[in-house]
Amino acid sequence: MAFNVLVVDDSAVMRQMVVRTLRMSGLPLGTVHEAGNGEEGLFVLQDQWVDLLLLDINMPVMNGEEMLRRLRAAPETASLPVIVVSTEGSETRLAALHALGAAVVRKPFAPETLRDTILRITGVTDAEYYGPVTVTSDDSDF
Amino acid sequence: MPSTTVQSLSRATTATFEELALLFPEHELSPEQAAAPLDVAVSVEFRGPLRGRLVLRASSVILPSIAANMLGEGASREPPLQRDALGEIANVICGNVLPAIAGVEAVFHLSAPYLHDGIDGVSRDADEPMARVTFGVEDGRAETVLYLFSDVESVAPASQGAVSAA
Repeated sequence: MAFNVLVVDDSAVMRQMVVRTLRMSGLPLGTVHEAGNGEEGLFVLQDQWVDLLLLDINMPVMNGEEMLRRLRAAPETASLPVIVVSTEGSETRLAALHALGAAVVRKPFAPETLRDTILRITGVTDAEYYGPVTVTSDDSDF
Repeated sequence: MPSTTVQSLSRATTATFEELALLFPEHELSPEQAAAPLDVAVSVEFRGPLRGRLVLRASSVILPSIAANMLGEGASREPPLQRDALGEIANVICGNVLPAIAGVEAVFHLSAPYLHDGIDGVSRDADEPMARVTFGVEDGRAETVLYLFSDVESVAPASQGAVSAA
């Protein structure tokens, strides 16, 4: 399975860094779309099929929380896997994001943290990701 | 509060440099690092229960490494990307230090990182830093300074500390 991903962040540097991390993680990537705020992100979703959304919170025009609320209110995106990638540290705000079904990865993040969160939220198993494990030794006791 | 604020700023700065830029702050500066000029600066303003500004000053000599580690080798030769990368570091430090000093229930709004021409004009004349952290990075050094604006009534008297990022 190849993931079509949408990265929404007002920082071009952070978008580039997230995309680079995705490519380095070894995850099977399809098309990677980018948007600079929530409104632009919604426009992208009108025309493109996306399997995973990586979303910043503090953005101009439309912030990530508002975009997430609109996604959940629309039947076609109500169950879209969403990972909030943000510096947000307010538990009040984080609780609201969790209630909307988003996973959260706080910046700064290690690449494996982002990869593992993607695997968890998309339901891809380790076997699907890494392939089946075979034991070649014939003297195993177990 | 000042000492805990300094410690919080130190932890946020260290974690951000290590995890985002893959660079390890050194709390004992070598003579070469200590002599390196702080000739670039970025700042992030914030408002919420506290209002103020976080300023990150750095030696320009460390910018190529920051950009390369965050964005790839190609970015290390492009000065605009180098400065943008430094701005993102400031943004992440700010986002991590505020809950540590204001509590995890507090909600803040952060401005986009502002890239300064030189290091003048990054603070208002009346501002005293609440905390300051200086550390060595590769062949240069960097300094993170947290200002809380004095027109916020609930802010404790400003003071400053200077610790190394451990």
